[in-house]
Amino acid sequence: MTPNGAFTVGFILIALSVAEPGPRGAAVLVALALAFAVIEVGGASLIALKRAAIVVLPLALFMSLVWVGLVGEAPYQIAADIVGTRTAALVYVAKLSGRLFFVVAVIQLVFLRFADLTPLQLVRALALPAPVKRMLAITLSLIGTLRHAIDRAHIALIASGTLTRAPSWRNAVHSWRLIQAVWLSAVTILIGRMRDKWPVEGTMARLDGALDRGKSRVFAGADRIWLPITLAAGCAILLADLAWKR
Amino acid sequence: MPRRELISGPNFSGRSAALMALLRDAAFAAKTFYVGPYSEAALSGLTSSIADEVDLYRAKSTDNPASPGRAVFAPIDVAAFGRREPQTLSGGEQVLLALHCFSLSAFPALAIDTALEQLDPANRDAALDYLDPRNGLGLGADVALIDNRLPPPLAGWTARERTADTTAFDCDPEKVVAALAPRQAPAIAIRNLTFGYRHGRTIFRNVDLALAGGTAYRLAGPNGAGKTTLLKLLVGVLAPNAGELLLGDAPYRPWRHGNRAIALATQNPDHQWSGATLRDDLARRRAAFAHLVGGDAFAESRLVKLAAALGAKSLDTHLYELPLAARKRLSWLWPLAGALPWAVLDEPSLGQDPATRVGLAAAIARLTALGHGVLFVTHDDDFAARIPHRVLAIGEMQVKEAP
Amino acid sequence: MFTTPRLILIALGAALNCSIGTIVYLVKLPIYLDSIGTILIVLLLAPDRTAAFICAWAAGWVGLAVSGLINPFLPWFALTDVAIALVAALLVVPAAATFRARPLRGDVFTIQVALCGIVLGVVSAIVSAPVVVYLFGGVTGSGSAFVVALFLKDGLHLMSAAIASGLAADPLDKVLQVLLAALLYRATPGDFIAMLRASETGTAS
Repeated sequence: MTPNGAFTVGFILIALSVAEPGPRGAAVLVALALAFAVIEVGGASLIALKRAAIVVLPLALFMSLVWVGLVGEAPYQIAADIVGTRTAALVYVAKLSGRLFFVVAVIQLVFLRFADLTPLQLVRALALPAPVKRMLAITLSLIGTLRHAIDRAHIALIASGTLTRAPSWRNAVHSWRLIQAVWLSAVTILIGRMRDKWPVEGTMARLDGALDRGKSRVFAGADRIWLPITLAAGCAILLADLAWKR
Repeated sequence: MPRRELISGPNFSGRSAALMALLRDAAFAAKTFYVGPYSEAALSGLTSSIADEVDLYRAKSTDNPASPGRAVFAPIDVAAFGRREPQTLSGGEQVLLALHCFSLSAFPALAIDTALEQLDPANRDAALDYLDPRNGLGLGADVALIDNRLPPPLAGWTARERTADTTAFDCDPEKVVAALAPRQAPAIAIRNLTFGYRHGRTIFRNVDLALAGGTAYRLAGPNGAGKTTLLKLLVGVLAPNAGELLLGDAPYRPWRHGNRAIALATQNPDHQWSGATLRDDLARRRAAFAHLVGGDAFAESRLVKLAAALGAKSLDTHLYELPLAARKRLSWLWPLAGALPWAVLDEPSLGQDPATRVGLAAAIARLTALGHGVLFVTHDDDFAARIPHRVLAIGEMQVKEAP
Repeated sequence: MFTTPRLILIALGAALNCSIGTIVYLVKLPIYLDSIGTILIVLLLAPDRTAAFICAWAAGWVGLAVSGLINPFLPWFALTDVAIALVAALLVVPAAATFRARPLRGDVFTIQVALCGIVLGVVSAIVSAPVVVYLFGGVTGSGSAFVVALFLKDGLHLMSAAIASGLAADPLDKVLQVLLAALLYRATPGDFIAMLRASETGTAS
């Protein structure tokens, strides 16, 4: 399966879930995602589920606290000016959380499918315009640069006695210092690259070359099975939904 | 015949600018692989794995085949690093990675600005052998080099001597320690120390070490052995997985309570600033000193004099707008100022010309003689020889005092 | 327009938006702090308003795409990001000289920060409210959900509650963001700013 195929399948699944399908449509989506997880991702699917839980569970608890605990009504009941119930609010939060869990899990599954590719290889395989791929690669590398800058700033402020490695109130008081140090560290790293390394080497041009897919096909292999199935399922869900809602 | 250019001279004689001008010279190759002083100018910064970094530079069919069959430079096993981020390598390992990438590339030229100074003796010799025009390897590339530990003449290289064109950053490290009073630094004891990075290898296992005040120790070991990791543990940036530190006779946990004993000068000076200006940075240190130790470390007038001795005309100097060599010198200020009993200096002489190295070594020797504890890392044997010291050897998860 | 330094700046601004915004989102305070990078880009590219707007917009959207992996609500607020970039280009660009002045003129600085922050906050609240109401029924994962809930308990309708919650929290949040961006801008080395403002004549390298 190619990254283009996997990302397209993932996109269709997410778009369909956002369209709020009825119960049967939702069941089809979950079945498709499970099939993808088992066949294409295998054991690593558990990691995807774990990550989705880490993102969505605290969110679900928070929304329950606000809407079930504090407000005690579902938003559509408030909008319709009818007396609401905590049960309705709970159902609403559960549905929304379920949808969010599905979206995050699908995103994670798609990325895990290609865990054996390096970031450059993954971006290279995508059928996107060259400027978009360049921007993607640069953003990924800048996230790495920022993490490195955070590390450097941490070392500086701990060594100077301003922060401690363990959490403390002093750390909170000096958090502005950390933000400033991170920014200056990142800027210094970038000045070194942009003034000396990149102009002399033409490194950006090398990046463009490294991101060029060449003549490889956009879709190949298992894409030819997954894409038609997903599209067909999508059409069926939308049609069934139209009938259901009518 | 490929060119070999060695640009030499004191700091602030415009060597780096001359290097850049040389690379733009029509007689020099059109594109040059560049290895700068620190990682930001040695690695591309466009990849998030070492395998990608190598792949980015590897010669492709569309490249100019200026160097068919160039010998590969691989003193470390790059394939074993594969998925790690390039920035997680030590300074020396990054330089080796950069040279490895060059050796796989089709770049017709190579420029190195003091980067070889970060290599341990074995790797440095291997790199210089690789670049030697007489080695018959046929690099097929022009090379331009700046290195403070290679005074000309160098066989097979054209020397370009520069003279200093400014006194703006003149420094005298010995002046910083001149007015220091003697003190007795407490001993540091390391007991049963074990440390490994999460998802990474174990760096230290059950290390026992006693460091006495009033003594200088040189931490020696190959690139990537864990020297900087040990310094981070002592300062509290990292916490050990097991074991303890003692300061004097009392347990010492800087990772939890803060660093109140060690003034650190980092290998890359930009890893140690706590403010945008020198005034900000010193204010943070003095505030931390007041909180953790008590009292005021220094009067401002004294700090102005110390900063001037290291080339900063004003405390309002914007640190990040200074040249790199000047920033490196200011990184010595807090350790040499002597507010804290221990001074730890990680490759303090990087990028410094011979005259400055002599002055720095003398200052460190004086600091030790006054009773401070000193721990320093350097690959420069000449520099180390000027400081009476004991050797701590790092390797195979152990740190032991060498006889 | 898109010189190499500016592409880097866009990515850096996006990364800043993501990292600071994600921390605040996880802590559930009723503020966002997710546009500091956007505002900083505008300051760094001043006085070129067009470049500032376009690069800030790009950073906003790139940041949304990446943040969307942690905060699934965020990508839907794409229009808010455009609005912030536009208002920042109009209002914050003229303030750049004040923010950078050494020594700092405290009174003028404070007035400029407050003015820019409040206007940005009001615009952001109004543009975001329909998304909060029609797409999420008022239910989002950010700390401002508390404030919406309180207004609902007070008997306000959903749209009014969303707007009121936005007007209560957004201006304060944006004032804080403008302040932080201005302070970072003050500390930025001149070399970096010069690289960003130069418009390139040759190919990017």
